[in-house]
Amino acid sequence: MQIRDYLIRRLMVLPILLIGVSIIVFALTRVGGSPIGIYMSHEMTPEEVEELEDRYGLNDPLPVQYFAWAGGVLRGDLGWSGVAVAPVTQVFRGKLAATMELATAAGLVAVTLGITLGTFAGARRDRLPDHLTRVFSVSGSSMPDFWFAIVLLIVFWVYLGWFPVGRSDPAIWASIAHPTGLYTIDSLMAGSWQAFRDAIWHLVLPAITLGLATTAIITRMMRSSLVEELNEDYVDAARAKGLPERLVLKRHARRNALIPTMTVIGLSFGFLLQGTVVVEIIYQWPGLGRWLADAVLRGDQATIMAYVLFTSVLFLTVNLAVDIIYAYLDRRVVLGS
Amino acid sequence: MTSTAAAGVSAEGATRALVASVQDLSIHFKTKAGMVHAVDGVSFDIRDGETLGLVGETGCGKSVTARSFMRLVASPPGVYAGGKIDFWSSETRAAGGGPVNLLTIADDEMLDIRGNRIAMIFQDPGKALNPALSIGNQLAEVFYQHRSDELLEPLGPNAPVIIRRAANQESGKVERVLLKLPPLRSKAAKVREEVEDHVAAALAETQIPNPRKIMDRYPHELSGGMKQRVLIAQALACNPDLLIADEPTTALDVTIQARILNLIRELQQRRRTSVLYISHDLSLVREISDRVAVMYAGRIAEIGRTDDVFRQPLHPYTRSLMAAVPSSRNKRGELAAIEGTVPELIDPQPSCRFHTRCPYAAGVCGEVDPRFLRHDFDHGVACHIYDEPAELGIRPDELPSYERRTR
Amino acid sequence: MADVAQPRTVIPPATGALTVRLRRLGEVTVQTLRNPVTVIGLVIIVLMFAMALLAPVLTTPNEPNPYQMPRDWTALNEPPGTPGHPLGTTAHGGDVLYGVIWGSRTSLWLSLIVVAVTVTIGTVVGSLAGFIGGKVDEILMRVVDVFLAIPELIFALAIAAVLGPSFSNIILALAIVYWVKYARIIRGQIIHVKQNEYVDSARVIGDTKFRIYLKDVLPNSITPVMVQATMDMGAIVLVGATLSFIGLSEAGLAEWGVLVSEGQVGISTGRWWASTFPGLMIFLWALAFNLVGDGLRDVLDPRTESR
Repeated sequence: MQIRDYLIRRLMVLPILLIGVSIIVFALTRVGGSPIGIYMSHEMTPEEVEELEDRYGLNDPLPVQYFAWAGGVLRGDLGWSGVAVAPVTQVFRGKLAATMELATAAGLVAVTLGITLGTFAGARRDRLPDHLTRVFSVSGSSMPDFWFAIVLLIVFWVYLGWFPVGRSDPAIWASIAHPTGLYTIDSLMAGSWQAFRDAIWHLVLPAITLGLATTAIITRMMRSSLVEELNEDYVDAARAKGLPERLVLKRHARRNALIPTMTVIGLSFGFLLQGTVVVEIIYQWPGLGRWLADAVLRGDQATIMAYVLFTSVLFLTVNLAVDIIYAYLDRRVVLGS
Repeated sequence: MTSTAAAGVSAEGATRALVASVQDLSIHFKTKAGMVHAVDGVSFDIRDGETLGLVGETGCGKSVTARSFMRLVASPPGVYAGGKIDFWSSETRAAGGGPVNLLTIADDEMLDIRGNRIAMIFQDPGKALNPALSIGNQLAEVFYQHRSDELLEPLGPNAPVIIRRAANQESGKVERVLLKLPPLRSKAAKVREEVEDHVAAALAETQIPNPRKIMDRYPHELSGGMKQRVLIAQALACNPDLLIADEPTTALDVTIQARILNLIRELQQRRRTSVLYISHDLSLVREISDRVAVMYAGRIAEIGRTDDVFRQPLHPYTRSLMAAVPSSRNKRGELAAIEGTVPELIDPQPSCRFHTRCPYAAGVCGEVDPRFLRHDFDHGVACHIYDEPAELGIRPDELPSYERRTR
Repeated sequence: MADVAQPRTVIPPATGALTVRLRRLGEVTVQTLRNPVTVIGLVIIVLMFAMALLAPVLTTPNEPNPYQMPRDWTALNEPPGTPGHPLGTTAHGGDVLYGVIWGSRTSLWLSLIVVAVTVTIGTVVGSLAGFIGGKVDEILMRVVDVFLAIPELIFALAIAAVLGPSFSNIILALAIVYWVKYARIIRGQIIHVKQNEYVDSARVIGDTKFRIYLKDVLPNSITPVMVQATMDMGAIVLVGATLSFIGLSEAGLAEWGVLVSEGQVGISTGRWWASTFPGLMIFLWALAFNLVGDGLRDVLDPRTESR
């Protein structure tokens, strides 16, 4: 029952946050003056501009404009992307899969590696592996990802020639159908080993770059929460039962240490999202991030705002999901608060 | 009055066989400030079927002593600095074998003893259970670990290796998947049923109503008293030779304390388990123990049969404890009512640890470690009051005495 | 081990007279310096600051604007070790060493301004929320939640993009995004202190709210704010350089992110130096502040990092 109350409370906050984010986004579109520039061309006379402003309701009071805009967003109308020369929603649909594939790959790398390294270090607290892991995680979270991407490119693309840039070899890409837009999945569905290999090959460097900072964060959290759990009485109680250290660690301490780590995984999802921008620029990955970078440089406001809205909604949703799982996993916390 | 080592005192007076014998045990903790001598040359015996109460203030080293039986002192920072703990398990004794030293046996031998021949009940039942595992699963671990043969019995002598490995908790990830698939699933289910029967029986012994229902519960769904019953069931699951109870009732409500205490006593008497009962509560120890060891600042101050110690306390520390024990009208006894503070245990100099608080302390008390002296049949004390001046190389009037208060 | 009274290296929270606080500051310094890793971080910071301050001495400042990269159109794409260009030049004839040195000055400005502004905004908002409480607190904390709902880089990117590409707009954007954590810290401290007894006793004595604030709340908030600010000194340069790299600064600014971006064109033909050196500087800058921030947190609040 307590869990349900807690969830209801959490769910009630979500719309408030979403409205808040939408207000900020709306405010940003109005900071640079009237957004009429997007619709305007140089040949227009002032009268034509005036008429255009009326048509789009830009002379209405701001609250009216906000509700008009928000209504459009709710109907899926996010405006016109000047960069892509297409409706924003349509471009989103086309580029979402590429970014999601990259972010998922990076997330998988980060979660697996982070939990493994964190467990490894936490179980060997204050010994050499722990110190080395600490060096890794502090370095990882201090690393400018755009620079790391370039260094990897110099080493593995320019000098060693092991990994390519871009998302695919165009010839191989064209050889299979793309029902989901996720290259790895599509290649498996098509049963093409060549395409699957191509997909993975192109994913390696971007996924490592994107996952590095997140790996560092998860490693750190996992390490410190494992250290904390290992100090708990129930760990000694498990040892007192005669369980070998392997089981004490895996079944008892690690299981509980994963619970707080979950929250950090949810939070670091925001990290992954924002990291795609830079990673996609450098590795020429045709996803949302690169599109955003173009939009930023060319003042394509509709795209920028759509992106901010999108990442925030996604970020909030993931964190809500994490909180829900957390509430179920950690029975202590919910009862306590 | 003659002097012997502490172990000698009890061994001579012993009419029963020993379960464990602690000799000159020292456990130190490495800290930035120096070596903390948490346990500093402790010796005592635990006899077969008896309850030995180990009393002392918080921080006197009693819990560390208890934990060292299972080598559960965290190391680092803990260091086993000396001495040994001999242990006679019922199996080796039946086979006519000698004791093993718990501090030096191999790790896998230790795993075999933990939870099986020696078990422990922890102070705070709320913390000693894993919050993320159901009660049933936590108890099942003990049986998987120590009774896998019994669990495999219904499958006959030819149980597949993968099932054997599962019953010994050795399955890998792939194996765990295989165990859920048809040919093995029914066999794994049989082992599971067998374990559940064992768990239910163990829980029933501690008078938990509806054991099968409790097994699906998680720790936070149970009351403190319930949790402690679960932990007792877990500790006694394999019928251990020695049960270490580290203040098992301190964290519980007063009304439940008595019931848990009775439960431990009843189960112990039925199974003839030896118990090392650790407490800071004198009146409680008086109720439950056959013999009492009084610990102060990492050392045994006095040891003897409960009646003797309470009727005629020898050590000034024991006496001040007795004086501090409230009468039946008052609340249960706290030990901190003595003037002064416990000395620093970092790199201590030779001295009686109690001399800073002792009302009768003389010069020698701050300079020489007191020997352990046998005072009476089965009653020993470490105090210069009972020592020979000649042994210490001092005049008789330099010896401390109960006739002379020095503070 | 519950039985062992282990001496812990926890320093009690700052309360009482100025001398007590000064002594505590001394203790903190000593303990911080005991950790060799923290010392490494401090040394890097000192070197970076020295480089930033001595930039006009170490190089010949570009006229009229020293923060603009000097262009030597006779020396394009020179590798490191070229006379006059020890770290090489970019494809536009920018001296990499000049960019590295003046970049530290740019980064110092960026981080100092943003941290100063965000700490101030955060303190004001957090204090209002914590002291007034009730509806005001509720509303301000919702605003904080909304700010936290947008990933930092994306938020700063959007603001800077709307304001138009310039380094001062990057500073402004980061200032708008980064005050939130400080508001939370200060508010948390105020609520914590409010519940503590010593404020009650101060109230009985007749102190005004403002004096309680000065005497108890601020000193108690200093340590968590200090840790956060140290971490942010690194993070802000990291994010600022990212924005510059994407192209939100003026082109040709002597800033590490801009330089990495300028050097990026050469890497496919093996000209690694123009991106590598400035990028390394960003990494070292962020690393140094992370190390010191970590060390400070360990000393000031040993429980969060569980030693």
